Amino acid sequence: MRTISVQTPIRPEVIAGLRVGDFLEISGVIYTGRDAVLPKIVALSEAELVAMGISLEGSLIFHTAVSVAGIGPTSTSKVEIEESISPLSERGVRIHLGKGRLKADTMRALQVHGSLFAVTTPSTALLTDRILASEVAAFPELGMEALHRLRVDRIPAVVAVVHGQSIFDQQVQRG
Amino acid sequence: MGISPAKIKEATAEALVRAGSSFTPGLRAAYARAVALETDERSLWAMRQFLENADVAERRTLPLCDDTGIPHVFLEVGESAEFGGPHLGAVTEGIAEGLRRLPGRPMAVLGDGVQRIEQSQGLSVFSEDVVPPAFLVKRIPGDRVRITVLLLGGGPEIRAKTYRIFHKHHLETVMDEVAQWGIEAVRELGCTPAVVAVGLGRTHFEAVSLMLEAMALGDLEKQTPLEQQITERINASGTGPLGLGGRISVLASLLNIGPQRASGVRIASVRTCCGIEPRRATIELG
Repeated sequence: MRTISVQTPIRPEVIAGLRVGDFLEISGVIYTGRDAVLPKIVALSEAELVAMGISLEGSLIFHTAVSVAGIGPTSTSKVEIEESISPLSERGVRIHLGKGRLKADTMRALQVHGSLFAVTTPSTALLTDRILASEVAAFPELGMEALHRLRVDRIPAVVAVVHGQSIFDQQVQRG
Repeated sequence: MGISPAKIKEATAEALVRAGSSFTPGLRAAYARAVALETDERSLWAMRQFLENADVAERRTLPLCDDTGIPHVFLEVGESAEFGGPHLGAVTEGIAEGLRRLPGRPMAVLGDGVQRIEQSQGLSVFSEDVVPPAFLVKRIPGDRVRITVLLLGGGPEIRAKTYRIFHKHHLETVMDEVAQWGIEAVRELGCTPAVVAVGLGRTHFEAVSLMLEAMALGDLEKQTPLEQQITERINASGTGPLGLGGRISVLASLLNIGPQRASGVRIASVRTCCGIEPRRATIELG
C-alpha cells in the first residue's frame, strides 16, 4: 500500500507514475461538476474557458455538488458525467474523481489522453473538512450543480482506472 | 390527552437530523463484524473511512453524505391513539424543519411538470423544499405513535429494482433472482458496502412498501438464515467496498415477506442501500 501526495496542477509524469490501487492525497485547486454542468463545460470553446478564468490543463474534476450539506462523490456512470470524461481529458483534465465503475470506451479514452479515474468514499463530514476555500467558477444559475472551484487539503482517493487497467477487473481474483 | 402537533413536529425534526448525521447501533455493529472478517487492505481502508466519517458526523451533527436524500416517513399509529389531519401536517412541518437544521441539500427542482423533468428552471435554494412522498402508515396495538424518518440517497435509487419473478412456487427461484439483482446492483453502486433491503409482495406498490418497512424496522444485528444467504451470495462476487475488491460487498440484508397471491408469480423489490444507509431514526410518542 503506497500513499502518494498529488498537488494540482497535475503534470503528465505524475499520472505516468501512478498505478491502479495507489492511495492518493490530493491538494490544491480543483473543480467540481456533475450531470448539469459538465456537458456545458464540454461545449465551451477554449477562448470561452479562458474568459471565465478556467484552466483545464493539469486539472482535477470532482464529480460532486457543492452545497450547504457539503461535498461527496456522485455516481460517475451517470450518462452526462461519464460522457464528459473523454472530451475533458482531451482538454487537459488529468484526474476525474467520483465513484463507481466505468465503461470500456471511457477507460480507453483515459488511456489515450493520459488521464485517470479515482474513487473516494461518500465521507461528507470528512471531505468537507478538507475544503479551504470555495467559489463558483461558472454557471451560477445551476446552484449546487454549478462548476465550483475549491482549494482542498489532502482529499483521500484510490486510483481505480489508469493506463488501461481497472481495479474493478481485479475484484474476483482478490475478493 | 393526545399527542400535541407541536410535539410531533419537534420529534420528526429531531428524527430527521439524527437519521442524516449518525449511524444506527445496528449499522455500527454490522461494520464491526465486517471489519473483523476483512483482510483486504483497500476494503479495510474504505470501511474505516465510512466509520471515521460517521464519528465526525455524529460528534458535530453534520450530514453523513452530501446527498442528504429524499425524506420518507414510516408511521406506526396505535389503534387507540388520537392521530389525525393536524398530526400529519405536523409531521410534514417537522420534515421541513429537520431539513433546515441538518441542513439538507437544496436539490428540489423548480417549475411545472415538464420543467421539473427537464430541470429547466433551476433548483430551489431552500433545503426544506425537498418534500417527502406520501407517508406509509401502519396500525399497531396500543395507544402510542412511532415516527420513523428515512433518508433515501440517489445512488441506490438508480440501482433499485422492482419486478416480477416467475418462481414456479419455489423459494430457491426467488432467492436466485434476488441474489442476482443484488450482485448486479452492488457492482454498479460505487458506494458499497451495501445493506440489501428486499420486499416480496403481490403488487409493485406492496413490494416497495415492504422493502421500505424492512429499511425502517429491520434489525441488522439479528439476521435470519435467508438474510444471511442473500448477504453471503452477494459477497461471493468479490465486489468489495467502493468496488475495490474484498470479502465484504454487503454488510447485512433485510428481508420482508408480505402476503402472497395465489399465482406462479411473486413481485420483488430490491434496494441496495449505500454504505451509510439505512439512514433512519425512530421517535416514539404517547
